[in-house]
Amino acid sequence: MDESALLENYLIVGALLFGTGLVGFFSRRNMIVMFLSAEMMLQGVSVNLVAWGRYHNDWGGQMLVIFILTVAACEAAIALAVVLTLFHKSGSLDIAIWQRMREENQPAYVDRDVSPDYQPDHQWPKLTPSGIEPKPDLEEITHRAHV
Amino acid sequence: MTPGIPTLLILIPALPLTATIVTAVFGRSALKQNSHRPVVLALLGSFVASLMMLAQVRQESEAKPSQMVGWETSVDLWNWAEVPNALNTPPAAHSASVQGIEHGLPAALPFRIDLTLRADALTSIMLAMVTFISLLVAIYASGYMHGDRGYWRFFSYIGLFVFSMTMLVSASNFVLLYVFWEAVGLCSYLLIGFWYEKPEAAAAGKKAFLVNRIGDFGFALALFLMWTTYGTLNFHDAHGIAGILGQTRLADPELYVGGGVATAICLLLMLGACGKSAQFPLHIWLPDAMEGPTPVSALIHAATMVTAGVYMVTRCTPLFMVSPDAQHVVALVGFVTAAIGGVIAMTQTDLKRVLAYSTISQLGYMFLGLGVATLGGITSGMFHLFTHAFFKALLFLGAGSVMHAMGGVVDMRRFGGLRRLMPTTHWTFLFGCLALAGVIPFAGFWSKDAIIAAVQERAHDEPEFLYLYWGALVVAFLTSVYTFRAFFMTFYGSERVPYEAGPNAHESPTSMTVPLTILAACALVVGAYFERTEGFAEFIKLTPSLAYEVVNSKNVEIVSQSHTLVGAISTLVALTGMGLAAFLYLGDESQVALLTRLLMPLYLLSHGKLFFDQIYNVLFVWPLWTLAQASYWIDRVLIDGLVDLVGRIPPKLAALLRPLQTGMVQFYALAMVWGVVILIFTLLTWPTH
Repeated sequence: MDESALLENYLIVGALLFGTGLVGFFSRRNMIVMFLSAEMMLQGVSVNLVAWGRYHNDWGGQMLVIFILTVAACEAAIALAVVLTLFHKSGSLDIAIWQRMREENQPAYVDRDVSPDYQPDHQWPKLTPSGIEPKPDLEEITHRAHV
Repeated sequence: MTPGIPTLLILIPALPLTATIVTAVFGRSALKQNSHRPVVLALLGSFVASLMMLAQVRQESEAKPSQMVGWETSVDLWNWAEVPNALNTPPAAHSASVQGIEHGLPAALPFRIDLTLRADALTSIMLAMVTFISLLVAIYASGYMHGDRGYWRFFSYIGLFVFSMTMLVSASNFVLLYVFWEAVGLCSYLLIGFWYEKPEAAAAGKKAFLVNRIGDFGFALALFLMWTTYGTLNFHDAHGIAGILGQTRLADPELYVGGGVATAICLLLMLGACGKSAQFPLHIWLPDAMEGPTPVSALIHAATMVTAGVYMVTRCTPLFMVSPDAQHVVALVGFVTAAIGGVIAMTQTDLKRVLAYSTISQLGYMFLGLGVATLGGITSGMFHLFTHAFFKALLFLGAGSVMHAMGGVVDMRRFGGLRRLMPTTHWTFLFGCLALAGVIPFAGFWSKDAIIAAVQERAHDEPEFLYLYWGALVVAFLTSVYTFRAFFMTFYGSERVPYEAGPNAHESPTSMTVPLTILAACALVVGAYFERTEGFAEFIKLTPSLAYEVVNSKNVEIVSQSHTLVGAISTLVALTGMGLAAFLYLGDESQVALLTRLLMPLYLLSHGKLFFDQIYNVLFVWPLWTLAQASYWIDRVLIDGLVDLVGRIPPKLAALLRPLQTGMVQFYALAMVWGVVILIFTLLTWPTH
C-alpha cells in the first residue's frame, strides 16, 4: 500500500469521526452527549493531523496532537464542571432549558423550561469570609466641633 | 564663626521647608503628637538666623559704600527661566544698562527670571518679625491644637506658610514675589479650611481664595504692564539691565515712567494689595477667615500674611512716588477701610470677629500711612505693621485662650467676668488692648501716632489730608471703644461660663501662656524702644526703595512740634474711648440698651457689617450664579443632547441583529459551521487572477 492510499484511509476515518461528531452536536440536546460529540470532532481533527504528519514525514503533526490531548483534558474538566452546575440549576441535562438566556422578546424554538416545582436537591457549602474585618475609626467619624 | 548673609538668607526659608517635608512625610505614621517638634525647632533656627542677619545688615548698612543708595545685597541661587530676545520693541522707559550711562538699549531684552534672594533693611526686619511671631504661635499651637486628629497636618501647613512668607519678603523679583504671594494664599486657604468637615470653614476658605483671585488678577496685570514698560521684573540691577527698584534707577529718577502708565501700574499693584491685605472693597474675606484655628488667625490673618500687601507697597515706593494720584487712592482706600473696620467692630458679638475687623481697620491705618507718601508716612506705616504684628497676635492668641477654656464658644454674650478664672490671659489681653487702643507707652501708641502725625504733616502741603487727619482721630476713638468693649464684656461683669466649657473651666496650659506673656512684654516695649532710639525709621530708611532721593526730598522732620501735639490729642481720644467703654459696659448694661434704641439705624448698619456681603451677593454673586445656571442648562440640554443623540445610533443598529440571539447552542454552532463553509467555498472559487 503506498503512502497516499494510507493517507486517504486515515483521512476518511478522520472525516467520519468529525462528521459524526458534528451531526451529534447539532442533533442532540443532552449536554453530556453534546460534549462527547465535540470531543469526537476533536479526535477527528487529531487523526487528520497525525495522518498528514506521517505523510509529510514530519513530527510536528504528532506533537500538535499531544498538545490537543492535553488541552482537551483540561477542557473536559471545565466543561463537565459547567454541565454539572447547569444541571444543579435546572435539574435537567436538556440544553434547550437554557435558551431562556436568549434576547428579550424573542420567541423560543422549543417549549421547554425548568418545571416550576423543581427544587435543587443539594445545598452547596459557602466559602467562609477570610481576613480581618476593619474596625471603624471613631476619631475619623467624630471631629472637633469647635474652632 | 558667624555665617555670612548669603548663608543666613538661604537658611531662613530652608529650615521651615525641611520641617514641612519631615512633618508631611513622617507626621501621620511616626511623629503623631510630636509633630510640632521639627517645626518649632526649625522656626527657632530661622528666628536666630534672622536676628543674626538683622545685626549684620545693620552693620553693613552703616558702612555702606558711598556710591550706593541705601544698602542691599542679593544671592543668586539658580536660573529659573530665560527667554532670549523676549521684548523686541524698546520699552517705554529707558532701561538703562548698568555700566553704560547711555540710555541706549540692547535691541531686544531677555526675559530672565533668576531665583534670587535679597537682603536689605526692610527684608531683614520683616524676616525677624515673621519668624518671631510664627515661633511663638507654633509653641502656642502645640498646646492649643493638642489632641486634634490633624495635628501633623496643621504643623506641616504652618511650616509651609513660614517658608512661603520668608521667601515672599526675601524675593528679589516680581515673578518670585507673585509665586510666593500665591503660596501664602494657598496656605491661608488650607488653614482656613483646616476643619474642612465644617461647612462654614470650607465655605470661608473658598471665599478667601476667590476674593484673593480678584486682587491677584490685578497684581498679575501690574506685572505685565511693568514688563512692557521697564523690560525687566528684577528689583535689583542684574546682568547689565537696571532693575525696577535697582540702584541705577534710584540714582536717576528720570528713569521712572510717569503719567498714566505709572498710575495704572500703581493702582493694579494696589488692587493686589487690597486682596491680600483685606482692604476695601475686597475686605470681606478676612472676617470669615476666622473659621480657621485661632493660632492661624493670629499668625496669618493678623500678623504676617495680611501685611504682605503693606510690604509690597512699601517695597514699590519709588513706583508710587511718580504717581501722586495713586498715593491719594492708597490713602483714601486705607482711611475708608480703617473707618469701615472700626464701625463694624463696634457691634460684633463674636470675639474673633471683633479682632478681625480691628485687623482690617489697622491695616487701613497702615495704608493711610503709605498713602501719605512722605518718608515719615511710609516708615510709620511699616512701624505700625511691625508693632501691630505683636499686639494683634497677642490679642488673637488671648482670644484663642479664652475659647480654649470656654469649650470653643466665641460669643461674648455667653461668657463674662473671666478675670479670676483666667488671670494670665486677662492681663496679657489687657496689654494687647492698651496697645491696640494706643495708650502711652504701649506699642500701638507710637506707631499709630506716627501715622496720624505724618498725615497731619502732609496736610500742610495738601489741605485735603486734613479730613483724613480728623477721620483718623475718629477711627482711633472707635478703636479704643470697641477694644475695651470686647475686653470688658469678656473679662468683667458677673462671672458667666457657657455649658460647653464644662464644670472646671480653667486657665490654659503653660505652652499657651508663655507665648502670651512674651508677646505682652513685646506689646509693652517694642514701640517705646524703637521710638526712643529712633531706630525703626532710621533703619528702614536704609532700604534702597526708601533711600531714594524723591522720598528723602519730602523728608520733613520725623519728630516735630506737631508730633507731641498729635500724641497728646490721640492719647486723650484713646482715654475718652476707654472711659466710654467702661461707662457703657461695666456694671449693668442698661445704657447700652438705651443707646442701641436711640441709634437703631446706625446699630443695624454696623451689626449687619454695612451689608457688604448682601450687596456683593446682589451685584456679583447672583448675576454670576445666574450665568452659571444658564451655562449649565446649555451644557445639560443642548450639548449633552447632541452627544446623547449620537449615542442612540448603535443601539438602533444592534436591535436589527437581536433576533439572532436565540439562546440555542446548536444554532450558534450551526452558524459557525456555515460561516466556515462559506469562507472555504469562497476561498476555493475566488478568481485568482
